[in-house]
Parts: sequence; structure tokens; C-alpha cells
Amino acid sequence: MRETRLWSLHLLAIPFILVLLGMHLAIMHYAPVFYGMSVERAREYATMIERGKSIVQFILYILLLITGLYHGLYGLRGILRELPLTPTMIRVVDVGILLLGLAIFALGTYVTWWTFNAPLGG
Amino acid sequence: MNSNKPTAYNNRLGLKGWVYGGRYTFERYLYLGHRLSGLGLIAYMVLHIVETANRMRGEQAWVGLMVLFASPPFKVIEYLLFLAAVFHAMNGVRLLLIELGFFLGNPKEPVYPYSTSVMRHRPLTYLVMLLAGLLMFFGGSSMFFK
Repeated sequence: MRETRLWSLHLLAIPFILVLLGMHLAIMHYAPVFYGMSVERAREYATMIERGKSIVQFILYILLLITGLYHGLYGLRGILRELPLTPTMIRVVDVGILLLGLAIFALGTYVTWWTFNAPLGG
Repeated sequence: MNSNKPTAYNNRLGLKGWVYGGRYTFERYLYLGHRLSGLGLIAYMVLHIVETANRMRGEQAWVGLMVLFASPPFKVIEYLLFLAAVFHAMNGVRLLLIELGFFLGNPKEPVYPYSTSVMRHRPLTYLVMLLAGLLMFFGGSSMFFK
């Protein structure tokens, strides 16, 4: 039952990633098409800080962080667990991936929070 | 005692089992591509989060990083990442549809010559890969190679 729940979450993350990553690409790579702004301008420090001050952007980025990391690390866990592992090694893989995910999530959240609070103008 | 009884960690192929599944049909290559692109994307995501944390070191550090990413080798890497993301996403949509039971047809009596669910959803596979190819070509070329 636990594995079914984890697999269902893996699938549930897909539509979120498609939409949120699509938006991320639209902002960072297709700025000329969607915002009439050059890619270079979209990636400037001041533009990035200004964009990061939006509460909507803040929430969407945290959501992308959660869904992207969960989907990716769950996939990695599945690949690693295909190896001929003992139950102890399976536990090590599970805990290791969980810790890696939590560490990256903490860093990503901190950076997003830092941007949200950074002073305009650098 | 049946020694062939499968267990959670009785993977006879070991490392080879990661890529070798036997019966290499079109879908098997997609499986391999999905796995490799997925590994590439999660590695990139982790690096991307670490790399964008550079903004906390100030504008100079950020500008230096953007100059590096605008160089031709990084443009090529960025394009390869885009290809991996498009392939993984499109093939993932196909897998999701199959997982949810779409495009598999109704259950039938197994009468020779047997029709498999793989063959029944093969047109969907071709369609999805065609769309992926178009996205890679038009989306990618306009995004990275103006």
C-alpha cells in the first residue's frame, strides 16, 4: 500500500511539472515570445530579483521544487532498487535519497526566500 | 524449494538489467531513452538549484555565471537538456496514458494470431514521438539557435 501511494504521487506530480516547467521555460527561454523581452534581459540580475518578489512566482517555484524533486528522486530510487540489494542496502538507498531530496529542497527554498526578500537594485 | 522464486532483490541481471531488457522493440529503446534522459534531468535539476544559488553572492557572481552559460559549449549542453526534457515529457505522457489504461483496446479472447497491447497502442507511440520530434526541432531551434 505504501509503494502504491508513492507511485501514485509520482504520477500525480507529472501534470504539475508539465505546467510549472512549461511556465519556467516560457519565462527564462521564450521571453521574446511571451513577454516581448530578450532572453538576455530576462536573465539579468535585476530582472531576476524583481521577478522573484512576486508571491505567485514564489509559490509556483516552491511547488515546482517539490514536484520536480519528488518525481526525479523517486525515479532514481526505483532505478537503484532494481540492483540486487539486501534489505539493509535498500534502506540505505531510501534514506540517502530522502536526505539528498531534503537538502536540495532546503537549499532551493532558501534561495527562493532570499530572492523574495532581497533588496531591489542588488 | 523453488530457487527461481523471484524476491525483492533477486535481480539476476544485476547492473546489466538496468539497460538490457531483451526483445529490443521500439518501445524498449524508448524505455532506455526515458531512463537515461530521466537520470540526466534529475542530475541537472540538482546542479541547477546549486548553481542558481550563486545569486546570493551578488550581481558580479551572477553576471559571470550568465556569461559562462552564453558560451557555445553551454548552449549545446542547454540544447541537449532541452531535447532530453522534451523526450522525457512526451514519452512520459504516453506512459501515463498507458498506465491509466488508455489506447490499449478492449480485452479480447486470446485467439491466434495474438494481438498485443503494445501493438494496439503503437500508433499512439509513433504520434507522440512525431510530436516530440517537431517540438525538438521548432522549439529548440528557435530557442537556442536564432
